[in-house]
Amino acid sequence: MRVAAFRSWRVRLAALLAVVGPGIITANVDNDAGGIYTYSLAGARFGYSLLWTMIPITVALIVVQEMSARMGAVTGKGLSDLIRERFGLRATFLLMIALVITNFGNIVAEFAGAASSLELFHISRYIVVPAVAVLVWVLVVRGTYDSMEKIFLAASAFYVCYIIAGVLAHPNWRGAVISTVERPEEFSLSSHDYLYMVVGLVGTTIAPWMQFYLQASIVEKGVTAKQYRTSRWDVIVGCIFTDVVAWFIIVACAATLYVHGRRNIADAADAAQALRPLAGDWAYVLFAAGLFNASLFAASILPISTAYAVCEGMGFESGLDKRFADAPAFYWLYTILTGAGAAILLIPHFPLVRVMVLSQVVNGAVLPVVLIFMLQLITDAELMGEQVNSRGYNIIAWATSAVMIVLTLAMLFT
Amino acid sequence: MLSNVALTDLVGRRTRDVDGNVLGTLHDLVVIPQEHPTRVAFLVVRARAADLFIPADSLTAVSGGMIRLRPGRLETVTLPADSLLLLQRDLLDQQIIDVQGRKVVRVNDVELDVHPDGEGLLLDVRAVDVGSRGALRRLGTGVIPRHTLRALLARIPSRTIPWHLVDLVESDPSRRVKLKISYKGLSTLHPADIAAIVEDLPPAEREAVFETLDDEVAAGALEELDPRTQVAVVESLDSDRAADIVEEMGPDAAADLLGDLPEAQSGAILREMEPEERQQLRTLLEFGEHTAAGRMTTECLAMPASAPVRDVVAAIQGFEGELQTLAAVYVTGPEGELVGAVPIARTMIADPDTPLGRLVAAPPVNCHLDAPEDEVIALFDKYNLLALPVVDEQGRLAGIITADDVINLLRRED
Repeated sequence: MRVAAFRSWRVRLAALLAVVGPGIITANVDNDAGGIYTYSLAGARFGYSLLWTMIPITVALIVVQEMSARMGAVTGKGLSDLIRERFGLRATFLLMIALVITNFGNIVAEFAGAASSLELFHISRYIVVPAVAVLVWVLVVRGTYDSMEKIFLAASAFYVCYIIAGVLAHPNWRGAVISTVERPEEFSLSSHDYLYMVVGLVGTTIAPWMQFYLQASIVEKGVTAKQYRTSRWDVIVGCIFTDVVAWFIIVACAATLYVHGRRNIADAADAAQALRPLAGDWAYVLFAAGLFNASLFAASILPISTAYAVCEGMGFESGLDKRFADAPAFYWLYTILTGAGAAILLIPHFPLVRVMVLSQVVNGAVLPVVLIFMLQLITDAELMGEQVNSRGYNIIAWATSAVMIVLTLAMLFT
Repeated sequence: MLSNVALTDLVGRRTRDVDGNVLGTLHDLVVIPQEHPTRVAFLVVRARAADLFIPADSLTAVSGGMIRLRPGRLETVTLPADSLLLLQRDLLDQQIIDVQGRKVVRVNDVELDVHPDGEGLLLDVRAVDVGSRGALRRLGTGVIPRHTLRALLARIPSRTIPWHLVDLVESDPSRRVKLKISYKGLSTLHPADIAAIVEDLPPAEREAVFETLDDEVAAGALEELDPRTQVAVVESLDSDRAADIVEEMGPDAAADLLGDLPEAQSGAILREMEPEERQQLRTLLEFGEHTAAGRMTTECLAMPASAPVRDVVAAIQGFEGELQTLAAVYVTGPEGELVGAVPIARTMIADPDTPLGRLVAAPPVNCHLDAPEDEVIALFDKYNLLALPVVDEQGRLAGIITADDVINLLRRED
């Protein structure tokens, strides 16, 4: 009896391990340099008062990610493959150009995050940025899917840094928890700054590249429709962990920076520095190390996932098992995204902020398109078979997408 | 006079009858492969009310940006859509197998031959365009001025695959039968190439290929797949069909595969197999995967020491294993114990009446069933072997390990 129970437990664990990875990794990469900055700023500016957004954002994230994972498991095809087959060459081409632009902006932000986090430890960016670029390039080109996944899962675990930093900041736990579950005060919603911050939080959490990346890694891992029920937990747990980390970042900054009136921070590294006198050396080191980890992690994933998405959609040869001469478009795109993303940071007086803003604008414009494409695909019974969205799920998915679209449009036009 | 036209150039054109009345726009072209492999049989014209299927022999002109139909013959029919090949729906932007280039590619356009036939025109599918030239033409039409586009296109070499070297990918078995999709071209390729192609296909299409290929070809390709994909493919087949394929595989590869499958499934497959081969596999399965026994094949040529050289040819003719593994005859004593090995080439120049035992010089290099992989590799390296005999406790020949297995091992360790 006990042996049987043990065996069934072991079988279940094995089934879980066979699918775990893509969901957790994708969700964690989401807390990249830009994400950490946005959460820090939200805490520093508005204290605990934005914590209520965390629960709806988590739900939205789960809904969107779950659809990507399900499409990957059922069809065995990447999102850009499906878009190409369903919506044709022209739509795919335009979407891919937009994806390259917005992802390039994100890549630059990751290198900037890596540089500024190590500058806190007095290491020059002229050393850090090239080193990170080479490291990332070699890691991705030399690594296999399985070895990369292990590294990335370890990097995901490292986000615990932020939870510890949050604890070290000695927040008002009761206040933080109440603000998380309580309805926001109405007057705050009429404030333009506050609303802008809400939109920023949503925008940084749900980004177009995630859908392409998650679906591709589900396919790459070979998750099948049969295994999907287990795989769904990978997605859900990943999204929740990610937003718990985000919650702690907001709380850490709210308990220190906001309370002491240090309401403006320039970037994520600046937040770490501002924490030092208020929360102590350890919180400072954890914040900075977490930022470096997050930047490196995202910088390893964004360029390669962009190269895959574009080449699949456009029908170019792709894959790290191909030689350079057989998949030139793929390798060139990957190399240029990594190289140029790093090089930009080394140009003195480069208008970095303007590039970021442009990339955010494109990001906002791409997201609704991707969501609408996804909803068209996932409600297609011919494609999805039994795994097509149920009516109830469809309503949630459309509602989520509609809110996302309204918010991103709001951000573009404010 | 023969000319050609691209599918995307025709689709969307206004279609007029002889009086100049617009019927609608051309939406698709229909080929019925079971009647004619290349001929366009129907035009699908999208009219306001519905899609009209018009017999293609009504076609009289495709010039001047429109399509004209013959007078008097405007019967339209309704056809079951699943037994037709619709070029736009089923081919354009979809993946196909390029038999010539031995890979999976995406269709950017379809090229049609236009030839006059009496007063009308016939359309035949000539090739599919998979290059950037076809893609650029589609993207540029209507966006870039026509002469600029033409000049641009002239500088790009075209990449097309002749229609008879294209294998369509269709996962629905009944449609596959109706459309006569057979993977004829694919099955002529080397098993390693088939495996590489199959690995690029989504799971459903992958299963379709394995359901269609004949047992021997399927077995060869399956051996070349990476273990994870192997398991996924075999799990998707019913155990009857899986057993047929596994029987055709080399026993060493078959044992590795069955060892990776869940027990219930490998049991089901074993039950479907011939008793003799089942016994052989059962024996192999009992050994650890990383020992000599786990790597060896039991298919080798063994003959008693007293047999004359002239018997070797008959033995080779009766040999059921893969001929390419035959490098030597293994000579055994009265109890089946290994006495030595004689290279096949040696038997061709020796006197036909000489007993094989006389040609054996020294006891051959061999290893025990339990020998670890490292030792096997070391022996191959030290003695420059093509094959290594494996013996049991009593010194009896149990099987051989061939050089290709060792190369696989070394590649995997990297």
